[in-house]
Parts: sequence; structure tokens; C-alpha cells
Amino acid sequence: MANEEICAKIKAMLVENLRIPEDELEYDSELFGDDIGLDSIDSIEIIAGIDNLFGVQMTGAARENFQSINTLAKFVEEHQQ
Amino acid sequence: MDNNSDKRRVVVTGLGIVCALGDNVEECFNAAVNGVSGIEEVKSVNTDGCYAKLGAEAKISTEKLSDKDCDRSSLLCIKAAEEALADAKYEITPENSSRIGVIVGNCVGGAASIDKYFTDELKNGGGKPSDVLKMPASAIANNVALHFGLNGTTANIVNACAAGTISIAYACDLIRAGKADAFCAGGSDSFSSLAFAGFHALHALDENPCSPFNKSHGITLGEGAGILVVESYEHAKARGAHIYCEILGSGVSSDAHHITAPRPDGQGQMLAINRAIENSGLKPSDIDYINAHGTGTAKNDEAEFLSLHTIFDGSDGLSVSSTKSMTGHCLGAAGSIEAVLTVKAVCENVLPPTIGYTEDDLAVLKEKAGNIDFISNTKREKTVNFAASNSFAFGGNNASVVFAKNPHEIPDRTNNERIFVTGLGDYTAKGRIDIQSDDYKNLGIKMAFWRKLDRFSQLMLVSGMRALSDANITISEENERDIGIIIGTSDGPMTEIVNFQKNVVANGTASGSAFSFPNTVYNAAGGYFSIFAGIKGYNVTNANGVQAGLQSICYAADVLKNGDEDIMVAAGVDENTDVTEYLYGKLGLLGGKMELGEGAVSLILEKESSAEKRGAQKYAELVGYASAHKAVEFGKLKGSENALKEAVLKACESAGISADDIDLVCGASDGLEEVDSAEKEVLGELLKNCTYVTIKDEIGEARAAGAAKQAMQLAITLRESDMYKYGLAVSFGTGGQYSAVILKKAV
Repeated sequence: MANEEICAKIKAMLVENLRIPEDELEYDSELFGDDIGLDSIDSIEIIAGIDNLFGVQMTGAARENFQSINTLAKFVEEHQQ
Repeated sequence: MDNNSDKRRVVVTGLGIVCALGDNVEECFNAAVNGVSGIEEVKSVNTDGCYAKLGAEAKISTEKLSDKDCDRSSLLCIKAAEEALADAKYEITPENSSRIGVIVGNCVGGAASIDKYFTDELKNGGGKPSDVLKMPASAIANNVALHFGLNGTTANIVNACAAGTISIAYACDLIRAGKADAFCAGGSDSFSSLAFAGFHALHALDENPCSPFNKSHGITLGEGAGILVVESYEHAKARGAHIYCEILGSGVSSDAHHITAPRPDGQGQMLAINRAIENSGLKPSDIDYINAHGTGTAKNDEAEFLSLHTIFDGSDGLSVSSTKSMTGHCLGAAGSIEAVLTVKAVCENVLPPTIGYTEDDLAVLKEKAGNIDFISNTKREKTVNFAASNSFAFGGNNASVVFAKNPHEIPDRTNNERIFVTGLGDYTAKGRIDIQSDDYKNLGIKMAFWRKLDRFSQLMLVSGMRALSDANITISEENERDIGIIIGTSDGPMTEIVNFQKNVVANGTASGSAFSFPNTVYNAAGGYFSIFAGIKGYNVTNANGVQAGLQSICYAADVLKNGDEDIMVAAGVDENTDVTEYLYGKLGLLGGKMELGEGAVSLILEKESSAEKRGAQKYAELVGYASAHKAVEFGKLKGSENALKEAVLKACESAGISADDIDLVCGASDGLEEVDSAEKEVLGELLKNCTYVTIKDEIGEARAAGAAKQAMQLAITLRESDMYKYGLAVSFGTGGQYSAVILKKAV
């Protein structure tokens, strides 16, 4: 389980920036699967959002890091200065 | 050609351009054929922090363009129109002014003014209310019309990068239908932080000058305007005008694929190109030159390569170039600037190149080009009898138009079939709609799709899908190309635009949102609707004030009568949000009797043969429709009342009835004194003994949605009641544009 505070911030960002209904988004929801249905444009937005929130660069990061809020938070934790 | 064919001839009699290549046609065409680029470091937008810093801005400053208090987009358009009208030696008189109108394409509307307003608001202590009136794309055609005293009908075609081409196509169709003698047709767009930040966020800008069909991996933005005076041959001949060339057929289609990316298989592009060639009575091998859309993005260029190879590999003499390598991508002006350059190429037998190829690039191009002559770096001199110009846009909108050196008979597909309203989709409310997840889930729309849409697009999607369902239409491979969409709006997706812009003003150009940018184009709603529904036919959005919701019915009926489609979705949509209320408040329009509402209303219009074949229900028959314009200042109506009268009388004439026959009216009065008094005066004079109903007490001033709902109300009342035979709906657009629609009880 990744850092709760980071997860909460990422979730709020996704809800705000990508209009995902808050009640349909869990920390382990598959972001690019059928339910949430994110695509390449959304990933640009996630990269910008993570950069804004944590100063962490995700450009070029491997696809598996974008799987869920948990994996995004884990990436942030590992790369935060 | 015989006299009858002459009646369908449309010719070009005047040209005007302003763009990075110059301030007039001669400068621009000379630069283009000589491979001179207009691309430089961007000056009008702060590019700090951006990976790309190039653009093709017109050299002329806004102050030099005019001392008129208009947005730069309007001023560029006026400049190009001035050259075109002078070139055409078109003398505007009180007698002929209502027979020449303005149809212009646009993408970002008054983006430069939106930027200025919110910069003033956030950083300089307050924005000016006068800048609010410069924000919507609705203002542009009217500003041009007012400047030159043109009182024919207007439209602002807001189909992003295909807008300039669609405008020309629509203008020609209206002339062929006898609805005008001539139009200033074309498009304009000013350079803007909105577009720069948006394409930057999508990583769709090239850091180097774009070189389409070459190695470039993005666009270079440009700005400018292109205007053609398009005119009926007989009118041009009667006044002894110089004729540049003929405009033959056009084709408009929808990808129904993705909101920003083209279909990789080129299917939608090919439909537009093939329709244009067929509507011109030509074969692919007749085409000598294509001014390609050629943006420089991998996705466009690969799809267009595929489209061109698929259609033209069998022909021997096709040359292709993209002048965007020099003009930049001028968005809503692109198709019109390219049309002007194509007309010049047809007349002078010189073709502009695509520039930016190195020796190595040329070797790669040779491999890819096959049988097609992709003109690179230097001009090509050759005889051009037939040329086409392609434009493809966000939302999956495609358009192509064909120009010819000499008269050429085109097939007449027009028909006089009766048109019925066979479905209705209503999604409106006074104040704001309390959107529930069931509203879209009941239509089979998943959250994953829904969440991408801004409110404006969401309203349209629900209304459009409800209408298709009500008409019992299922889209399949059988009918997907025979159905089209016309959407009218007053204010477009202004909320998404303003929020995007405020973020850019506050946080810099590099902070633009890739998620919201696709929704800032006015045709996104039509794009999403076509994608979800699978509609691949005609797809146009017109931003033209409140009445745009009725004008969409007029436009859709013209598409049906022109033989382009069997079924059309005609809609009006406008949203009401904090942003809407803020802007209307700034204009001093709130606090009185007028209350804002919002929503979307869609009507299914269907040819009789199609309705009969399907056994469709019939609400009512569309028997008459017309638009008219008397240019007054944008933001006002006073002085334009005669155009309302003209619209009503013309609609009666097209219905073959007199105003006395009308027994039911659904009016546009909304509590604003100017609106109510104009309507009362004109309708009171024309109509006797008829019942007046309104829908605005129920949904407030929902603008284009309200206008469409007026027609919907007539359709329902005519079906339910035996008291009425003919119903009339009228509506107004600020600046003096009116539309009138007459429905008859279906029998």
C-alpha cells in the first residue's frame, strides 16, 4: 500500500483534472482499463499533474507505473527528492 | 454548357488574404510559389517554458489593421474581405445588399480578446465589458457584414481546422439553391495563447518549422484570413465581373473515430475527397493538383498519405503540396487561405511546393511518393484544369472542395422531397440541468466516455441520442454515411474555453491542459456525438447567436434538398454555468426579466422516402424556412427588425403560403426589451388571429437550445392538436440575424 497522503492527492487531481467521478475511483482501480478508460491524452495530463503536485517527472516512465493510483504513488515516493 | 447548367455555375470573382506570407494575395502567392516561409519566433504569445517557440504570425499589428473595436480575428477577416470585394469590383448598393452575405470559418473565436480580458482581470485590476462581446465566434461574420454593409445571411462555421473549406462549400450550395447572389466566404483566426498552449499540451507542435509529409512531428501554428467572393455565374456575368475560376462540388464527412486524431485508415478523409470529386462530375484521374491538409503531425500525414494513395494511385498526373510549411497552420482560416492559393495556382499554372526537404529527406520522399508528385522545395509549373483543397479537423470533420479552370457541368442531385420531423431529443432546463448519471447511462453512454466531455458536449450528446432513439434510428454500416449533423450555438463551449484560458493566464502557456483543450473547439460537441452515435455524414457547427438553433434546421434542410444526406440531426445547444452567468452579468443582461437556461434540443429531419421506407413516425412536415440578416452592431438588435420580417415572409414563400395561413407561433421573446419589442412589432404586423406560445417561461433563455425547442414545441403541438395547421418559429441573433421555420401538421 502506497503512502495514503500521496494517494489522496493524486486521486483529487484525477477527479478534478480528468472529471472522473470520485465514488467510482479507488486507489487500485485500473486507470487505463474499461471502467475508467483513460487514454494517451489523459496520460499527458497525469504527467503534468504529478509534476505540479510533487515535482516528479514521469515523462518516459514505464507503462506499468500508470496502472493505478497506487502505482503512481509508489513511483512518486521512489522519485521524490 | 446550356442555360440550365449555367444556373448552377458558381464562380470566384474576388480574392483576399492576410497571413504570415503577406498582407495581400499577390505577396502571399509570390511567397508561396517561391518557397518563402512565414515561420519565425512567436511574438504575440509568451512561450517561456515551452519546448516549441515558432509560429507564423501575420506581420500587420492589430492597431494597423483597424481602429475598430473588434477582436483581431474579425479584423483579419475584414482586411481579407476588403481586398476580395475590391478585387471583385463588387459595388454594394441598398438594392443588392441583401443578396450578398458572409459565411466564414473560425476555430478559436475571440481567443485573443479572452486572453486580454482575463489578463486584465487577473493582473491589471479588471477586464473591460466591451471585451466580453469580442469573445464568441458568433461576432465575426456579423462584424464583416456590418463593415461592408452586406445584408445577406451570415454563418460562422466553427469546425476547427476544416471550417474555412466548409464555409466555401456551404456558400456555394446556398448560391446554387438561389438563396444569394454572392458571399464573402472563407475564414479567419488570430494567433492565440489558447491554441498555442493547447497544441503544446498535446505535444502536437514541432520545435522546428513544420514540413508536412516529411520528417516533421508536429504543426507550426499560423494566423490570418482568406476570403473568396463566390458568386453565381449569371450574376457575375451580368455585372461584367472578372472570373478567376469555377467552384465545382464539395464533400463533407465525419470520421466518427476520435476527438483529436484522424482515423488511421483514412476512411473519413476519403469519403470527403470522393464526395467532392463525384459531386464535381469528375474522376480521380481528372484532378491535377491537391492542396493537402498536410499539417506535419505524424497522424495526419500518414492518414492523408494513405487516403491520397488509395484514391489517386491509378492516376498519372496528380501533384500535391502543403502550403502550411510556409503559412503555418491557420486553423479556421487554413482552408480558406489554401483555397485562395489554389485558385491562384489554377489561374497561373504554377504550384506552390512543400518546403523543408533536405537531400536525405528527398530520397525518403521518393520511396513514399509512388505515382504522386509531392512537390518539394521548389514550385512546379504545369497546366491545372482541376484542383482540390483538403481540410481535416478536430472532432473528425473532413472537407474537400474542387476548383476548375473552365466551366464544367456538375451532377444535379437536388430534390424536392418533402421533409418530416421524425424524432425529438430534449435536454433543457431553466437555470441549470441537474445532470444525473442515469441521464447518460440510460443511453448506453459509459462514464469512461462521458467524463471526457465538457458540459456543452454532454448536453448535446444526451439530446442527440434521445432524438435518434425517439426516431427509432439505429446507425449501422448501411446508413452511417447517409446521416448528418448540424449544430447551432450562440456561445459555444465558453466555460471550457474560459477555464483553459484563465489557467494559461495564471500559470503560463506551458501549463495548458491537454485534457480540456480538445473541448475548447466549438465543434467538439458534434465530434463526440458523431463518435458515440457512429454518424459519418455531413457534420457542421454554426455559432451565430440565439437563432443558430433554428438556423441549424434551415441548414440541415438545405443539406437534405441538396441530396447530400437522407437524414439530418438539427440541434441547438448552449450551456449555463458560473462562467456563463459571469459573462452575461458583465454585459448587464442579468437581474431583469430575462433568466438564463441551458440545454440542447435535437430534431431529426428526414426525407419522405427515407421516412416511408423505415415506417417512421411523423411529428410534422417542415414546409418553409429562411434566414435573413440586417447588419447592426454586434450585441444589438435595434434597426434590424426588417430582417425578421424578411425571414418570416421568405419562409412563407418557400412554404407556398401567406402569413395569414399561420395559426400557431412559438416566439423568441425572453424578457429583454429589444427582443420582445422587435418580435411584437413584426409579428403583430404580419400575423393575424394566431395563437402565440412560448417555451422560454419553462426553460429561460437557453439560447440556441431554446430556438430549437421552439420548433420542437410546434412539432409536438401540431401532432397532438387538431386546432392548428401551420406553425411558425422565429428567433434572433445579436447583430441582426434571424431565422424562421414553418412546420405543417403531418398528413
